[in-house]
Amino acid sequence: MIKLQNVCKSYYLGEEEVKAVCNATLEIKAKEYVSILGTSGSGKSTLMYLIGLLEQPTSGKIFLDDQDVSKLSDEELSHIRNRTVGFVFQSFNLINRFTVLENVLLPTHYLKGQLDFDPRKRAEDLLEKFGILERKHFFPNKISGGQQQRVAMVRALIMNPKIILADEPTGNLDSKTGSEILDLMEGLNKDFGVTVVLVTHEKAVARRTRRQIYIKDGLIVDKY
Amino acid sequence: MQNGVIHLIKTAFSDFKRNKIRTFLTSLGIMIGVLSVVMLLALGLGLKNYLKQQFEDLGTNLLMVIPGSGFGGGGSLGQGFTSLAGSIRFDDRDYRSLKRLSTARYVVPGHIESMTLEAGGTTKTASVQGVSEDFDEVFNLEVISGEFFDSSDVASSAKVCVIAEDLSKDLFGDVESAIGKTVHAKSLRVRVVGVVKNMGDPEQDNSIMVPYTTTYLTLNPDKEFLAFYIGVSNEEMIKESIEEIEEVLLKRYEEDEFEVIEPSKFLDAFSQILNAVNAVLIAIGSISLIVGGIGIMNIMYATVTERTKEVGIRRAIGATEKNILIQFLVESTILSLLGGLAGLSIAGLIVILVSQFFPLEINILAVSLSLGIPCLIGITFGVFPAKKAANLTPIEAIRSK
Repeated sequence: MIKLQNVCKSYYLGEEEVKAVCNATLEIKAKEYVSILGTSGSGKSTLMYLIGLLEQPTSGKIFLDDQDVSKLSDEELSHIRNRTVGFVFQSFNLINRFTVLENVLLPTHYLKGQLDFDPRKRAEDLLEKFGILERKHFFPNKISGGQQQRVAMVRALIMNPKIILADEPTGNLDSKTGSEILDLMEGLNKDFGVTVVLVTHEKAVARRTRRQIYIKDGLIVDKY
Repeated sequence: MQNGVIHLIKTAFSDFKRNKIRTFLTSLGIMIGVLSVVMLLALGLGLKNYLKQQFEDLGTNLLMVIPGSGFGGGGSLGQGFTSLAGSIRFDDRDYRSLKRLSTARYVVPGHIESMTLEAGGTTKTASVQGVSEDFDEVFNLEVISGEFFDSSDVASSAKVCVIAEDLSKDLFGDVESAIGKTVHAKSLRVRVVGVVKNMGDPEQDNSIMVPYTTTYLTLNPDKEFLAFYIGVSNEEMIKESIEEIEEVLLKRYEEDEFEVIEPSKFLDAFSQILNAVNAVLIAIGSISLIVGGIGIMNIMYATVTERTKEVGIRRAIGATEKNILIQFLVESTILSLLGGLAGLSIAGLIVILVSQFFPLEINILAVSLSLGIPCLIGITFGVFPAKKAANLTPIEAIRSK
């Protein structure tokens, strides 16, 4: 489903070039449940953002369903992100002045063209599935971290994406809540058939996925 | 799409709600700007319409003949004449020749003098106008009590007068009790036979009109006239009439010794001056709009910085650069428009209250300007902050605190 070919991404910190990801070649197949494991600063988040088309590679190619997406315009990339990719972040990244329901509906406002579902109904169905429907009119800062992460997952799912990218989704949660979120992630993959890519620095978390990709100093390595 | 517009407006208002004081203060700048511009527009328009009304009351087929060339300054009809020292004076001979004009329906001679009038113990400085019986016709004066003196009064130099409404109130308390009373003007004593309605010209409204022949007795022993008022038969003949008058008077005077004036021409001149003054005032008033716009820009930059993370989130879930740009532009425009609406409402209230005492008017142009300009300001001053937001790299935005 997603292929990276010799992808590099470097930043400039002043004069100095920092290679966050170097020569990454990998493939993630549809309906896979994969983790990207690496220490802090290893380039794992950058790799995830490259996969999620939120970053453009400095060199190399990215294919999404065999289409080369590494040279697409902002407009086209945004549209693909909107339709195909769902993000879940460590710090939830909900907008606090919007209610749970409004946060969940946010991606539907950016669709070019007509929605093929009733957004409100879908949002409420998903919220119910995730056990937070009764919180739909709450503001994010009035609900618990575990609940916020569930809202973020519903937001990631609302457009019916093919792939969910989760960046340390359990990082801000206690181990019990974190484990529940991981159960839900697994459920997304199993029950919804969504490709899930989990980015983490915890081996225990990575072990729950079916395949692990190791990254060290920007390079994909066989062993960690 | 419609959903998107609603979302944009909702987003803007949810931010305003979170920062009520900031929103209020920011739009206050635009409010003050719009208020001052609308008030100035209203003042200009009101004055212009007031002037127009004044000249229309005079009648569009009125011509005036005065000595000298050009008006000697002074806004009202009379002052122009009295300040003309050292120039020629018209006399009865001119009157007789002008009366033969084929294009004129009325020819009225005018002698004007300012003096202290006394009636029943009350004194007032006012104008005495020596005119003929057609004066009320030429100036469309409405007689509200008694009647205007007639040709026999003129022929017999009758000691009668017609008094203007304002002056009758000053001297006698009210219009009704003026009739039959005597007014002393220096050594002349005249009886009030009629009262005419105010015309809006302060000098005319503070005057008495007596037969011009009556002024010969004491006030005007040299039998001179300061002006002729000529009622042209119809509007189309104005040009022709001016030529005819000039032809008649040129037999006796030099070209620069007299002038034929078309009062409706003054309206154009006044309007032009008024427009220029108004434009300058509005330009000055607009400075506050620009200052208000800078305030909006300032706050929008702060908003963008504050909401960098939100921009990152929106970019991640599919917002394009353009979506972000529009989001912040809509916000700055609504902010500005709120100020504009508030300014317009307050201006509207002031106009309604003040227009009873002073000519103020709001027209559709003022309304559309007061809403259109804030929109323009919101977009102009919002575009740089909005661009800054749109150009944020999604990753950096999302990672920001």
